[in-house]
Amino acid sequence: MDFFHAHQPQHYLVLAALLFALGAAGVVLRRNAIIVLMSIELMLNAVNLTFLAFSRFPLVREPPTGSFLSGHAAVFFVIATAAAEAAVGLAIIIAVFRSRTSVNVDEFDTLKL
Amino acid sequence: MEVSWLQLVPLLPLIGAAICGLCGKWLPKAWLYAVALVSVLLSFLIGLSAFVRLSEETQLFHQLSFNWFSAGALRVEMAFSFDRLSGALTLVVTGVGFLIHVYSVGYIDEDPGYWRYFAYLNLFVAAMLTLVLGDNLVAMFVGWEGVGLCSYLLIGYWFTDEEKAYAGRKAFVVNRIGDLGFLIGIFILYRQTGTVNIAQINSAALPIAVATMAALCLFIGATGKSAQLPLYVWLPDAMAGPTPVSALIHAATMVTAGVYMVARLSHLYVSAPGILALVATVGVLTALWAALIGTSQNDIKKVLAYSTVSQLGFMFIGGGGGAFFAGTMHLITHAFFKACLFLCSGAVIHGLHGEQDMTRMGGLRRYMPSTRWTFLIATIAITGILPISGFFSKDEILAQALHTRAYSFLTLTPGGSTHLTWLGPVIYIVGSFAAFLTSFYMWRCYFLTFSGEYRGPEGLHPHESPAVMTWPLWILAALSVVGLVLGLPQAWVHGSALQGWTWEHFSEGLFAMPRGGWPAEFTPWQGYGIALLVGWAGWACSYALYYKRGLEGDEVLSRDVPRLRRTLANKFYVDEFYGWAIVRPLWAFARGLWRVFDAWVIDGLFVNGIPALVAWIGALARRFQNGDVQRYAAVTALGVAALLYVFLVRG
Repeated sequence: MDFFHAHQPQHYLVLAALLFALGAAGVVLRRNAIIVLMSIELMLNAVNLTFLAFSRFPLVREPPTGSFLSGHAAVFFVIATAAAEAAVGLAIIIAVFRSRTSVNVDEFDTLKL
Repeated sequence: MEVSWLQLVPLLPLIGAAICGLCGKWLPKAWLYAVALVSVLLSFLIGLSAFVRLSEETQLFHQLSFNWFSAGALRVEMAFSFDRLSGALTLVVTGVGFLIHVYSVGYIDEDPGYWRYFAYLNLFVAAMLTLVLGDNLVAMFVGWEGVGLCSYLLIGYWFTDEEKAYAGRKAFVVNRIGDLGFLIGIFILYRQTGTVNIAQINSAALPIAVATMAALCLFIGATGKSAQLPLYVWLPDAMAGPTPVSALIHAATMVTAGVYMVARLSHLYVSAPGILALVATVGVLTALWAALIGTSQNDIKKVLAYSTVSQLGFMFIGGGGGAFFAGTMHLITHAFFKACLFLCSGAVIHGLHGEQDMTRMGGLRRYMPSTRWTFLIATIAITGILPISGFFSKDEILAQALHTRAYSFLTLTPGGSTHLTWLGPVIYIVGSFAAFLTSFYMWRCYFLTFSGEYRGPEGLHPHESPAVMTWPLWILAALSVVGLVLGLPQAWVHGSALQGWTWEHFSEGLFAMPRGGWPAEFTPWQGYGIALLVGWAGWACSYALYYKRGLEGDEVLSRDVPRLRRTLANKFYVDEFYGWAIVRPLWAFARGLWRVFDAWVIDGLFVNGIPALVAWIGALARRFQNGDVQRYAAVTALGVAALLYVFLVRG
């Protein structure tokens, strides 16, 4: 079946993978801590997209228990967690900025012994 | 008969040693002496009461103290057996040991380490009793090593003196060579018989090859402990210890352990006639060798030390001739007169404030009469110029060697037997010559010490020892005389009350019969005549050289036979030879090991190499932990990608 002509789950999955890769690249490569946080959000949303894709195009004919809406439920949890994470992350960044006057993650190497 | 009190015999001195060693420093002196002496005395009394209760019905007291260890089929028990042989030895060890303890009270009293001394002495008695009473070879080996340890501790008793500490080490190391042989002998016997019990080994029928190997290895052990060629070199140096120790350990008891072991395993030895011949040959060579050296020593204790080596050689002639009773008889009589001689020399040294050189003695008969008389009696006993104990036991050995039928090699020629007929007479002749030398050097020692004029420095007044030291001398001298009963020939005492006291009759059935059977009956008169003649000849030579002229006698010898005399005075250069042939190469080898193996391999590769490797790996790993969260995340992402690839694409 041709990839470009039918409405298929692969399209969503490829998009999610691209988003995830973009996010991961942002986390690894960018120096600004706020951008890093945003990249994490991007990765989380890529995961959300796969959840929704599999909810729309289930791999089995009959749902094991009830409906296929459990994908949607997981997405709500992820969004809630992401909001909490963004709040905590921004608070940390502000605290660090106050002590270092910088949000450049290259300078945050106190994790090593 | 199984009894419950036998273990007390070695245990009491052991407890005494523990008390003396652990709290001796804080105990009052009198208490310490009481503990040390009473523990040995009680041991002696228990031994004595057991000894008189031995009879035709109860030939043996036995006690199993505890199972020491077992592995597979091997079971080693700490068990003691008390028969006529080990009983007699027990009495000698504890009896002579007690006298020497008493004497030591006078001798060591002023030394600050007296408590240590008595702890060692008691420990020695305990170890020696374990050796004698142990009913299996492993228990015997415990005692064997124990006496070696005590010997080392007591030779190096004055350990701040480098030379004395060295003598202790030398004794220990030389003994260790022999002990290895002893151990291998035990292993061979266990492998063949499946037991280490002496009685079972004696009753086992061993193939001649195994018996020969085992007997040889055990005899190597005996040459170490009993100071025979070629391992005798430690004994003369052992004289660095306190003189009572020389009397107890290095003359009367420990050094006879090898003789005792050969006699104890007589059945093993008679089934290896080649080794019997070797034992006798080594014995006679040692007797001659040490006697030759003894003629030219000036240190009174060295003379007695070489005399001990020589007399031990005689004992091995007895054992090697299959006449185990003669060897053990000489062991007992020798314990009496040699302990007496050593204690006398100790009294002399004590009376002269540490002087050991006979060239600075002389004329001491006026100053120390008790010492002089007891030394004279013991000298008569060892030289055999009058028929007291040493005369009979030594002559019994030589007579048995002459007539022995022990060297029959039954298996070499099937159906017949090869008998080494010439060996016995050769041993007899060489042994008689050694006896002549014995008489010569012992009388030289006596004359130089007690006759003539005092040659010591002015102002040093020799004095007699206190009674606590002279009484043991008199008792030992009396035993040296009374000991003659042990050796009376059967022909003389047959049927009389004395017969039960003679060692030959008393020890009947204890030892194995040589393969060729007992020697044919021989008349004692002829042998005794020769023995007396030999003894008197030695006395006469010594008298002519030393009685009137004192030290000039040595000068005469140095003038007439300078090279021989110099060689003998330097002990055949054996120490030098060993130093050149063994010690120096060993040192070089050890130095090489130290420089190459220890410094490079052990220190370089292992001690420093392993930490260096860890540090290197750590340095490598440290580069990954730089505290940069992004780097961590990148690595994690790469890892996840790799896992996904493996599981999804390859899997």
